Amino acid sequence: MNPLKVVLVTGRTVEQGIEGEAGKLREKYAKKVAVVELDAKDLKLLGIDEGRPVLIKTLHGEVVLRAIAAKGRHPGIVFAPMSPWINIVIGSETDGSGMPTFKGIEAEVYPTDERVLSIEELLKKYYGQEISSSELTSQELAPKNGSGGEQLFKDVVCPFCGCLCDDVEVLVRNGAIVEVRKACAIGSAKFLGHRKERALHPLVRKGGTFVKVSLNEAIEEAAKILANSKYSLLYGWSSTSIQANALGIELAEILGGVIDNTTSVCHGPTVLGVQGVGTVRATLGQIRNRADLIVYWGSNPLNAHLRHLMRYSALAKGVFVPGRKQRKVVVIDVRETPMAKMADLFIKVKPGQDYELISALRMAVKELDIEAEEVAGVPVEKIYQLAEIMRTAKFGAVFFGVGVTMSPGKDETLENIIRLVQDLNEWTKFVLCPMRGHFNVTGACNVSLWMTGYAFGIDYMRKFPRHDAAIWTVTELLSNEDVDAALIVASDPLAHLPKRAAENLTKIPLIVVDPRFNVTAAAARVFIPSSFVGIEKEGTAYRMDGVSLRLKKVVDPPEGVISDEEILSLLIDRVKKLRGV
Amino acid sequence: MEIIIKGGYVFDPINGVKGEKLDIGVKDGKIVDPSKLDERNAKVIDARGKTVMPGGVDIHSHIAGPKVNVGRLLRPEDHYISFIKAITGVKRSGTGKTTPTVASIGYRYARMGWTTVIEPATPPLKTRHTHEELNDIPILDKACFPLVDSNWFILDYISKGEIEKCAAFVAWLLDAIKGYALKLVDPGVAELWSQGKGYGLDLDDEIPSFGITPREIITGLCKVNRMLKLPHSIHVHCNRLGIPGNYSTTLETMRALEGMGDGITIHITHAQFNSYKGDNWPALRSGAPEIADYVNAHEHVSIDMGQVIFGGATTMTADAPFEFALFHMTPIRKWAGSEVEVESASGIVPFKYKKKSIVNAVQWCIGLELALLIKDPWRVIPTTDHPNGGPFTRYPRLISWLMSKKAREEVLEKINKTARRRSVLPDIDREYSLYEIAISTRAAPAKLLGLEDRKGQLGEGADADIAIYDLDPTKDLNDPDRIVKAFKYAYCTIKNGETVVMNGKIAKTSYGRTFYVKSSVLDEELMKGVVSEVKQKFKEWYTVQFSNYIIDESEIRHPEPLVMGG
Repeated sequence: MNPLKVVLVTGRTVEQGIEGEAGKLREKYAKKVAVVELDAKDLKLLGIDEGRPVLIKTLHGEVVLRAIAAKGRHPGIVFAPMSPWINIVIGSETDGSGMPTFKGIEAEVYPTDERVLSIEELLKKYYGQEISSSELTSQELAPKNGSGGEQLFKDVVCPFCGCLCDDVEVLVRNGAIVEVRKACAIGSAKFLGHRKERALHPLVRKGGTFVKVSLNEAIEEAAKILANSKYSLLYGWSSTSIQANALGIELAEILGGVIDNTTSVCHGPTVLGVQGVGTVRATLGQIRNRADLIVYWGSNPLNAHLRHLMRYSALAKGVFVPGRKQRKVVVIDVRETPMAKMADLFIKVKPGQDYELISALRMAVKELDIEAEEVAGVPVEKIYQLAEIMRTAKFGAVFFGVGVTMSPGKDETLENIIRLVQDLNEWTKFVLCPMRGHFNVTGACNVSLWMTGYAFGIDYMRKFPRHDAAIWTVTELLSNEDVDAALIVASDPLAHLPKRAAENLTKIPLIVVDPRFNVTAAAARVFIPSSFVGIEKEGTAYRMDGVSLRLKKVVDPPEGVISDEEILSLLIDRVKKLRGV
Repeated sequence: MEIIIKGGYVFDPINGVKGEKLDIGVKDGKIVDPSKLDERNAKVIDARGKTVMPGGVDIHSHIAGPKVNVGRLLRPEDHYISFIKAITGVKRSGTGKTTPTVASIGYRYARMGWTTVIEPATPPLKTRHTHEELNDIPILDKACFPLVDSNWFILDYISKGEIEKCAAFVAWLLDAIKGYALKLVDPGVAELWSQGKGYGLDLDDEIPSFGITPREIITGLCKVNRMLKLPHSIHVHCNRLGIPGNYSTTLETMRALEGMGDGITIHITHAQFNSYKGDNWPALRSGAPEIADYVNAHEHVSIDMGQVIFGGATTMTADAPFEFALFHMTPIRKWAGSEVEVESASGIVPFKYKKKSIVNAVQWCIGLELALLIKDPWRVIPTTDHPNGGPFTRYPRLISWLMSKKAREEVLEKINKTARRRSVLPDIDREYSLYEIAISTRAAPAKLLGLEDRKGQLGEGADADIAIYDLDPTKDLNDPDRIVKAFKYAYCTIKNGETVVMNGKIAKTSYGRTFYVKSSVLDEELMKGVVSEVKQKFKEWYTVQFSNYIIDESEIRHPEPLVMGG
């Protein structure tokens, strides 16, 4: 039969967030993320029922996923949660931005009789990695029997997303977290689940299999890999403290390697856009207190930043804007997400045509004639209507997500949307704020800026920082096979990078430092478990608007497990000795 | 570690030493009597034929914090052109010319012989960020000034006439965020800017949301400052900065603070940007003579220059509407605006000062006129308002202009002719002596900051922060280029008793202290009452919890509280 031609969009979901936090090597994770959402019409066209496997095929590969029915209506557009599965069909070209295209990809969907692979099968089939994860990670730490008593920690900062909600209450009994209040579902899952699926022993691969080793041996092994490499990549950094980031930068400087944080695969184009034209920002409180118009553009806080609406934006109680009734809410997206249902105005933009829509809006704001009936699938009248809403607001705010940063044009699109907001300031107050994902990705950018002058993608080959997103970013370096060793800290690139980049990561000596034995660890040569920053270790993190907050330590890390900071300090010392500097 | 600096020409104004040949002793980070040190154990630095001064003190330089970092983000091109290579174990790497990274800031100041630098504008809510950058700046001692002029708590207390409560809030704030002095930027403007207004706000314009004027904010905070016995006066960026005709606002601001008490009651920062005569840009003329006349006749004002240096700059200020206006005036079409709930706003625009531009040339003249027409070097500090007027790395050139009429004339010949005609600078013969340079770049800023017990001097017991320049005051002072060279690469810089620069090169990476103020002048009951009021409002006004706003001392690498009163 004829394939169904669709546009593929990938992104975050609540379940992907919760299950990812709980451990990606679990069957439940696969069940929740190895799926693709199809419109009911499309399911009918394919002649299949929900729950059946389908084959997704793009220019870059094919993969089998379980079909589920989409909640909103968006025929012709299929949505898949970000995962190791869907990345098989994602290309690694970045158009010079460092940012692969995770959204708006032309794809074909076929019914199939093949089944969805398990994570083990997937790693074996596509990356040649064999793991038996159960041996390494299945334990749940026994609760401490000590006489720690009960303690309630107040004003705890949640180390999950860029919202950094800082009002969370954590109840600790006998050294274990027993209750979490005020946090969202994902945040709670992170706190409550931190003891599950933990790897407690440093591992070194010997003769193809992992062997439990002492911390010293693991550090020695890791330091040797780094010291012997000619050009190493240090990647991750957005789910750890800025203190750990600073040490990572120092290590990269000593090694003459590259340090890149996950910005390069989320808001890299945003950074490039700001480099080009500037930005107009405000803290979330300024927006909450004053904004009578909120625009969510290519961002879905209901799936990725669960308390954003209540704490900072549409539904929040502000000093001058008491609540939802006094705010206008506009949602711009390629599909009718649940966010669209709460909007006063929903604008459905054709996938990949955000740039066109922004340009038309800029024209409309300046009262220029648009000589077309529709732009990017939006009738021109609606564009003028939105322009008028924007100009007449007292204080407007655009929250934009990876829906915009991944749109074709990448940094050009970002420059355009920033220019739109700058233009609007000729009429009224208008600001924009990137919806940053990982809890400290903003901090990773900040510390990197004050130490190197650049936010991500930094090379030290010449012993001083250089930056070019088209060269020194994770996807580019890996897909071009430019690096000969990698250290991954607090990130899981094998689960989130396009296939070609991920594949090459498995071919080089790889060190993984993470609280969990994650997907990337499966391909590691050295794995060093670390403590959870913000749960078992204090540190600083930056909210998406740049407000920095102190993360708390509420429980001790598992015995023998040390923090990213301590691991990096040991690595720095050892590498210096091995290199004789 | 003991050091004896032998036979140098010592300039130590606080102790009245005017270039005499003296030995200086250093032990355990402090200055000691050299005769009590044993030469066999000490490192001896031969300073014969060289100039010895206390380490430089910069009273106003934007080196850390959210807007500085956005400046870096905004200007990758500024980082491609300037870098420092790492030498593992000796120095870290850095980049950036007008928006340098932490290592470039620390090393370049140290190489010029500067050892203490103040970040003069930090929004309290984001001051944790500021401290984190300050922590990472090598070598220097530092402090930061929180922005207070548009803070709702403060405006509210002032509008109700509750100055005591306002003082209690300020005391709490300084301690909570580990700040040093009060910074006012275009007082009241950030509050107006959050409604898209505020450009040109003048001293007696009303801020409708609070029903008060900038004059009331300034005088109110000056009273608070004195009540709390803060070590530095209020630090004011005047209203109408960067707008032709603003010299009258500056004069009025200074007048508003007459009779507020003994000593300095107001520091007018980067006064050059606030000394403009003329009704519009083409008619721009210098208001420096009027400002200088006033300062000469009144004891309560100190200023820093805010000298413009021809070439690239990155303007960054909490004067948000001014930056938005500047965005429209510059061909480099970049603007980064930012706003902070309850407290402040800011803007950043890259800029280039050109010799042939009439406006820029007039600006260049005004800065120097101020420094040369104000007679008392204890009250006029050379700055470039880094990086607004130009980078701090141009201080050596600025010093040569102050010290040499010839050096000034070389520039005057090349600048816009109309600007030159309009300026009184060509008629000014004054040349700073090396002693006056030591006053204005060391002793005076230390004194204005209330740090003269330990900074800006070489008396026994002072911090051993010392600069030795390869400059022989008996023969090198007629050659401006020689002066520039000497100040650009200090022969030796000693920080906290350690040699950090030798022969103009970084010899060691250390990390300095961060000063902040704890004022325990006020009654405890009053403090408690105000803190509980603040707690109540906090939840309504801010998006962070009260407890998370407070910065713990442990978050600062080398905290150094100054306890006032009590």
